[in-house]
Amino acid sequence: MSRLAPIRPLLAPVLLIVLVTLVGSLTSTATQQNFITALVSVTIVIGLYVFMGNSGVISFGQVSFVAIGAYAAGELTIPTGPKHYVLPGLWSFIAEHSVGNLPSLAIAAGLGALYALVVGLPLMRLSGLSAGIATFAVLEITYNLLTFWPKIAPQSGQTLSLVPTTTGLTQAAAGAIVAAVVAFAYQRSRRGRLLRASREDQSAALAIGVDIHRERLIAFTLSGAVSGLAGGLLVHQIGSITPSQVYLELTFLTLAMLVVGGTGSLWGATVGAVLVSLLDSYLNQAENGLHLGLFKLTLPSGAADLILGVLLTAMLVLRPRGLTGGREWQLGRPRVSKIRSASAMSYLGRGRARR
Amino acid sequence: MRGTKASAAWLGAVLTAVVLAACGSSSSKTTSASGGAGTTSGGGSSGQSASKKPIVIGAAIDQSSTMKPFDSPAAAAAQLEVNKINAQGGVDGRKLEFIVENDQLNPSRTRADALDVVGKGANVLWVTCDVDFATPSTEVGLSKSLLTVAPCIGTDQMGPKRFGSQGKLAFSYGNVAQDEGAALAQLAIKQGWKTADVVTDKSIVYEVNDCQAFTKRFTELGGKVVAQDQFTQGDHTVGSVASKVNGQKAAVVTLCTYPTPAGDLPAFVSDLRSLGNQTPILGPWSIDGTFWLPKDPKVSNNIWYVTYASVFGDDPDPAVKALEQQLTSSGNPPATGGFVTGAAAIDGIVAAIKQSGGSTDGSKLAAAMESFHNLPTVSGAVSFSPSLHSVYGRQYRVMHVVNGKPKYIEEMKATTPASIG
Repeated sequence: MSRLAPIRPLLAPVLLIVLVTLVGSLTSTATQQNFITALVSVTIVIGLYVFMGNSGVISFGQVSFVAIGAYAAGELTIPTGPKHYVLPGLWSFIAEHSVGNLPSLAIAAGLGALYALVVGLPLMRLSGLSAGIATFAVLEITYNLLTFWPKIAPQSGQTLSLVPTTTGLTQAAAGAIVAAVVAFAYQRSRRGRLLRASREDQSAALAIGVDIHRERLIAFTLSGAVSGLAGGLLVHQIGSITPSQVYLELTFLTLAMLVVGGTGSLWGATVGAVLVSLLDSYLNQAENGLHLGLFKLTLPSGAADLILGVLLTAMLVLRPRGLTGGREWQLGRPRVSKIRSASAMSYLGRGRARR
Repeated sequence: MRGTKASAAWLGAVLTAVVLAACGSSSSKTTSASGGAGTTSGGGSSGQSASKKPIVIGAAIDQSSTMKPFDSPAAAAAQLEVNKINAQGGVDGRKLEFIVENDQLNPSRTRADALDVVGKGANVLWVTCDVDFATPSTEVGLSKSLLTVAPCIGTDQMGPKRFGSQGKLAFSYGNVAQDEGAALAQLAIKQGWKTADVVTDKSIVYEVNDCQAFTKRFTELGGKVVAQDQFTQGDHTVGSVASKVNGQKAAVVTLCTYPTPAGDLPAFVSDLRSLGNQTPILGPWSIDGTFWLPKDPKVSNNIWYVTYASVFGDDPDPAVKALEQQLTSSGNPPATGGFVTGAAAIDGIVAAIKQSGGSTDGSKLAAAMESFHNLPTVSGAVSFSPSLHSVYGRQYRVMHVVNGKPKYIEEMKATTPASIG
């Protein structure tokens, strides 16, 4: 077990992803869509966590990178024949080339990272409310570009369709696990620790020589890559995309997932995404009447969004650090840690005594 | 350890949620099952019908969002037509079953609902009345090689044009925009309107194509388009578009848009009228109905449109009138004349099954449907061609809104669909 010690915090999120995949595989093809959506949500929320969780800076713009990834992966996998019809105004170098599923996901991640790097260069100097407003402006800019610029997307926000539907349970799970591994590797790295230090105490971090702008930019770019990958998974799940699908509603929903789970940990991001995504799917179904064993649950129209809003508000008031309290859950953590903690405390105590 | 216990508790909650999610999903949320009194008129068919499997038409449509005014009446009329056919013994002794799921226009829900009805044994897939919104479900139907039918999509994209070779299985019983736009142009010329300002909402292909077709045919018939204005639903520019239109002084304003929660359609009408401009506004079926009209009768005035049927009790066809009254008395009063397309689509599916010798194979049904030429349905004669999988050549009802009240004027048919490329 000791060899596993460094990766213990990764095991719980990965096992939860595997569990969701296994349970989903036992359900009907239609119900599987809810589980695939949950896994894609995990990838999006982990992308959000990589930046917000490690830096403590709020961002309303992460879904922009999901959008870029979705459009890139979608446009590049539509066969060149129908592409000329579906996207008549597209730049010729995009219109004349098509790639396979995996390359499209890699390109989605790469473009997400590149876009995050470009917008992050000026924005990562901001924090607090300014950062929130500036990143929201990025979301607005992206939405309008994808709606009104026919060189990169269908005209006037019409649907980008005919995208191959390659994201099943396996691909969604693989994407979520890749995202979890990347997020975990980053938070364990020197760069991740420096950024977390700046999150805890900005002045102290500056005093020990942390270049906060650079560290935030690295996290923002990495977050862009994970979000771009998530966008690729999303478009390959549904087979189509519109700008409004990757705009305000998804931004609100994914932020709610991260807040409900806990912004401070990878475990929180994973738990929040799974719980809120499944809850959202089933509340939406309940608006049409959902059979649960012996009884039928029917909610009025709009109840799903209302309940999620109440849940988010309650969470912020009652448990601001989320369900997990912002802690990682370390599977199989030995009880000896308590002894180590005790000895560490006594060591600190001795140190204090010496002073 | 307290943190570990708390985390374990939350893990337990997550596990419970995941398992509950799987259990909860095992039952369906089908809102409408097979109808029909079950009586049979054919002498030998009753015994067969009891043993034969029903023909299942599975619908993934919107019953609570933007497309509700179009999808719901069509589905309700389809259900009545199914009931009628079942009461007459079904199709070759097989009952029809019409199952409906509300996709709420959510793309992933749309795909899931389509998969769900296919999983329930749908032989034919029924999709929502806009080709963009319908794409996730249409792609499911086509990938499963099922005949995929929309009651009222109004573009030529529900077919091979958008979906390639797989699109041979996709059809719509809506009027194709090239035909409808041509009919609008003929109406404008007939009314003596020689100049037009064409206002296009670019957010959906149907509206774009309708205004393109109007422009083409109007010009061919000697009319002059003095200005073309554009907006995109929800972009908050409709007010300035109304000001520009007011400055053009055209004889008619051709408006291709549709009602949504963004409210651009009533806003345009209100803005134009508030400038003292009472120029006739001419639009396609998508502006049918009174549910979107501004309350002030002086504002909701001098609006013309073409539609499938009048829902205001004055339709000239007794069969259409009877269907409308049946829907109203069953608690589903239709908001627009598009309801007849639902019944027409059922008639078309049944005709295709009969032509195919009772087969429900997608490609056989599609081949039969493609050969329809003036097939009689409750909505009028229906024709398709290898390149046009939406209806052309149907009789339109011309409607005129005066002081907030729509009134049937006359029937009109486009000579040919306009060629817009």
